[in-house]
Amino acid sequence: MVGKSAIKPSNRKIYLYLLPGLAIYAFVVLIPLLMAVRYSFYDWSGGPNLTFVGVDNFRELLRDQVFWTSFGNNVFIIIMSVIGQVGIAFFISVLLTRSWVKFKQFHRTVLFIPTVLAAVIIGFLWSMVYNQNYGLLNFVLKAVGLEGWVLPWLDDPDIVMGAVTIPLIWQFIGFYMIIFMAAMQNIPDELYEAAEIDGASSWKQTLYITLPMLKNTFKVAIMLCIAGNMKVFDHIFVMTGGGPGNSSTVMAQYAYDVSFERFELGYGSAVSIGMLVLSLLLIGISQWIGRRGEE
Amino acid sequence: MRAFAWIGKSTLNTLLFIFSLSAIFPIVWMIYSSFKTQSEFTLNILSLPSEWNFSNYVEAFKIGQLHNYFFNSVYISFISVFLIIFLAFIIGYMLARFAFPGRTIIYVLFLFGMLIPIHGLLVPIFIEFRSTGLLNQPYTLILPYVAFGLPIAIFLFETFIKQIPKEIEEAAIMDGCSTFQIIFKVIFPMAGPVIATATILSFLYAWNEFPFALVLIQSPELRTLPVGLTNFNGQYTVNYPQMMAAMSVTVLPVLIVYLAFYKKIIKGMTAGAVKG
Repeated sequence: MVGKSAIKPSNRKIYLYLLPGLAIYAFVVLIPLLMAVRYSFYDWSGGPNLTFVGVDNFRELLRDQVFWTSFGNNVFIIIMSVIGQVGIAFFISVLLTRSWVKFKQFHRTVLFIPTVLAAVIIGFLWSMVYNQNYGLLNFVLKAVGLEGWVLPWLDDPDIVMGAVTIPLIWQFIGFYMIIFMAAMQNIPDELYEAAEIDGASSWKQTLYITLPMLKNTFKVAIMLCIAGNMKVFDHIFVMTGGGPGNSSTVMAQYAYDVSFERFELGYGSAVSIGMLVLSLLLIGISQWIGRRGEE
Repeated sequence: MRAFAWIGKSTLNTLLFIFSLSAIFPIVWMIYSSFKTQSEFTLNILSLPSEWNFSNYVEAFKIGQLHNYFFNSVYISFISVFLIIFLAFIIGYMLARFAFPGRTIIYVLFLFGMLIPIHGLLVPIFIEFRSTGLLNQPYTLILPYVAFGLPIAIFLFETFIKQIPKEIEEAAIMDGCSTFQIIFKVIFPMAGPVIATATILSFLYAWNEFPFALVLIQSPELRTLPVGLTNFNGQYTVNYPQMMAAMSVTVLPVLIVYLAFYKKIIKGMTAGAVKG
């Protein structure tokens, strides 16, 4: 205990040490959060004229078709990602524990590469894949004789959401794979050995040991999927800009459009608040369901 | 039965191999296509370049001002990373070692920063920066990059420092070291691996960041690579090989860092994920 008091500086000194980091953090994260709340009650196009409108912005937000369409698109991406990213990543991580799978190190290294690249790069790359006339996808489809499948992938409102979701899923499969692989290493070998003695096949072991042991990892992965996909912006901005029309608009893209294309900064703030609230709500609900499942 | 199992295994092996290839093929395609001329590319978008021609790169730098974006990205990433590590190490140390009034609040505030979708702050930060004259400055982007990079670095450091026995610091106190000296002369050198992890993660974040760079910077000469790329797209709408050259320049440092520090990146990202 003597040692503890010996190395502990006074509280004042501790605060002084914390100050620079806290100040930057407060300036960039906390103050803007409060400002967003304030401006969401104003009608403001960025000029000197601010008109207090009370909760009108939020009333408009509740009735705003485009906002809810974009929220729906975020939810669509989340559902597809939970199935695609978490599902595929789990399957691949299981495969990589099997002795008969070849080139394990290669798979691990390569599958993770897209995760470290800039979302903008992924967006541009895939718009080159999807381009109607010069795109890789249509080129390959023509080459293998599937002319009927050649489509304007990013210009057809009916298929654009599917098209923009694939790169999002593709980019982060490696990320979830790594999370699952790390968690699988923590499962005690004895469990598998006991199952082995009982004559359980390796797929049975996956189903009855790996899957239940990874329950918490699945929860974390699904929460990350929700949090990550509520803020999707870069990919969509680059690939479609939210178009055609508003068919692929997501919430962050809509907040951007309202604030920087239409210069409605008051309403843009309300959209941002709406986005923050909905995100925290979804994350909260997913945690609540996770906890209830435990009881 | 054995033959059946063999077929199943071979099929899965093949499928997995194809899947892995699909994860890198677009990137490989981008890199080799950047050496093709525009006409060669339109003729056959899949073929390898008939000869390695660097004209796309030369033009990207000459006409596209790529070196400018590159310099800005390097400068902003380096300063941001330095500040993140420096500030996060102090905060991580204080949180790991001492109980003081407000410790829990500070801890939760940073945890909160890892949870909220920061894109929701795009508009309010723009408003704040505009009213304080911080828009469009050479140092503008450093502020958000440091703020958003702090939480993960703090938690990596805090977790690590907690495991270090206190005796070493007590000995240093006896030798007359100040708190600042203890942090940076005693603890910092012991935290090499976790500092490397935090450095790489912060670098990747700052280098790849797009929305804030898009909104907070208006002058072309202050832009970073990700936003600079969108410029290429506008200027040369269908010149894919040229665009690919610019993209390759953007990707190259990241690929080098990744291949050199593969294990550290993966470790850091899983640690961050589980904490969040």
